[in-house]
Amino acid sequence: MELVSLFITSFIVNNIIFMQFLGTCPFLGVSKKVNTAVGMSAAVTFVMALATLVTYLLQGLLVRWHIEFMQTVCFILVIAGLVQMVEIILKKISPSLYQALGIFLPLITTNCVVLGVAIQVVTNEYDFINNVGTANPSMMNLPQAVVFAVATALGYSLAMILFSGIREQLELSKIPKAFKGVPIALITAGILAMAFMGFSGLV
Amino acid sequence: MKNNFVKLAGILFLIGAISAGVLAWLNDSTKDLIAQNDAMASMDPAILEAVMQGSVMFNDYEDTALVETAKGENNKIINIMTAVDASGNELGKVVRTWSTVKGFNGDMELYVGFTPEGKISGVSVISHQETEGLGSKTTLPAFTDQFKGKDGSSEIGENDIDAVTGATYSSKSFLSAVNNAIEVYTKYLK
Amino acid sequence: MNKLQIFKNGVTTENPILVQQVGMCATLAITTSLINGIGMGVAVIAVLTGSNIVISALRKYIPDEVRIPAFVIIIAAFTTIIDLLMHAYTFALYQALGVFIPLIVVNCIILARAEAFAFKNGILDSTIDGLGMGVGYLVAMILLSSIREILGNGTILGLRILPEAYEPMMMAIQPPGAFIILGLLIGFVNYLSRRKNA
Repeated sequence: MELVSLFITSFIVNNIIFMQFLGTCPFLGVSKKVNTAVGMSAAVTFVMALATLVTYLLQGLLVRWHIEFMQTVCFILVIAGLVQMVEIILKKISPSLYQALGIFLPLITTNCVVLGVAIQVVTNEYDFINNVGTANPSMMNLPQAVVFAVATALGYSLAMILFSGIREQLELSKIPKAFKGVPIALITAGILAMAFMGFSGLV
Repeated sequence: MKNNFVKLAGILFLIGAISAGVLAWLNDSTKDLIAQNDAMASMDPAILEAVMQGSVMFNDYEDTALVETAKGENNKIINIMTAVDASGNELGKVVRTWSTVKGFNGDMELYVGFTPEGKISGVSVISHQETEGLGSKTTLPAFTDQFKGKDGSSEIGENDIDAVTGATYSSKSFLSAVNNAIEVYTKYLK
Repeated sequence: MNKLQIFKNGVTTENPILVQQVGMCATLAITTSLINGIGMGVAVIAVLTGSNIVISALRKYIPDEVRIPAFVIIIAAFTTIIDLLMHAYTFALYQALGVFIPLIVVNCIILARAEAFAFKNGILDSTIDGLGMGVGYLVAMILLSSIREILGNGTILGLRILPEAYEPMMMAIQPPGAFIILGLLIGFVNYLSRRKNA
């Protein structure tokens, strides 16, 4: 049961974009059309789930070898490697999607979301085998870390897709020139964030 | 082609190795200062006073076996301690715990003090990651004072406390930490 | 571009947040109080300048094909350096900035400058570019966090500015406020620059 509430919390209540601000750059960049948003979301979900798994296990090694300070460097390299892999696979499976996503694929590497989630997982609540070496002796385990990552990624996807639908409409509306593009997108995101805040009593 | 790959990988590895070296050296140089900071964050006289009036020190609880059992069963508990005053008299017990419910940005770390009569003597936040100006208000006396004198023998309900306006997550997280301390106190220390 | 122009470029014409509109994540999350905004801004200046210098110094030795991973390693290393230094020497600020310190490594600004400038220019120029962009970032952070702290808390740097009777606009400190105020700020900057160019 705890996994279900964890899922709901990560998916909407603590939505990664509207409540935690991680992932805003590509959010503003890719969300202009619904189908690029969908493609990007799928790629991010995949990378995030995989990256969390790998970094979670990697953290165990870092702790065991007492080189926790290498966390940032190692995690980001793992993520960069995974993104590279996804790029290669995508090129083979779906060249059209690869074309559509263009520059945004390598940008998943610098996407705060993936690294942010990876760090949250190992810092906050999710220890791996036992309490050794971490400041926070929580015994959340691997399944919970994966649920957290997947739910967060889905929350990201939800935000992106919702938003792109709205933005496609915005393109057709009359907006003062100074606000066209990013400013009005941010304001819209703010209103959406207000809506998401309504979920805070949910779990 | 293969040669090129080796060269590329080699250069990357070199950059990585040098970075690792620099970081290892820096980590070593700052290790003590960092450990000091982390320890000081939890032994500030103001915090000690807020948790148990008149206390000057928190010492580890002498029954270490009990503490180990408690930690084994309740993985959010960090430590159980006794608060002593300037003359060395025991003033009460202190539980150091994490929250069981995540706040807005992460877990909160608290001290919860208990008088010998089983009432809460005071609570104080040791570390948190809540929003500055919002969730961070849970660290202020305006919020923490309401816990003083509350009965430490049963869980405090959400309706029995006043949350910080606009900081529901932080308030709930804070409360979960207090209740976790209460659970440990009633189970092991009464 | 002469040296002064490079610096000015980062602060105004190509201000990373207000004009280029990159590096938003930390911007939105951290700017709940002025001191935090300043702290993060300074940390970013440090990482950005440091990595620009190193990448520029090594640019002849980094093969094109692996430049992105190489940049990432160097930026990550600097981020960790700043993290350790803050943990040791500026502890209160370290606690306030929390998880956003390691996140400096994915701040798009730093990678963007490495790719667009440091890799192609000399060390001195890259240093100035790093400083300029960093200062531009700091300025934007100061603007945004001042507005949010005054509106949302009635204080600036913890000092009360607005009278006690002022009912704080809670929304300003919370996520929606961040998005909206930043959007309005950028819109306003756009408006100003249009008028200038008209």
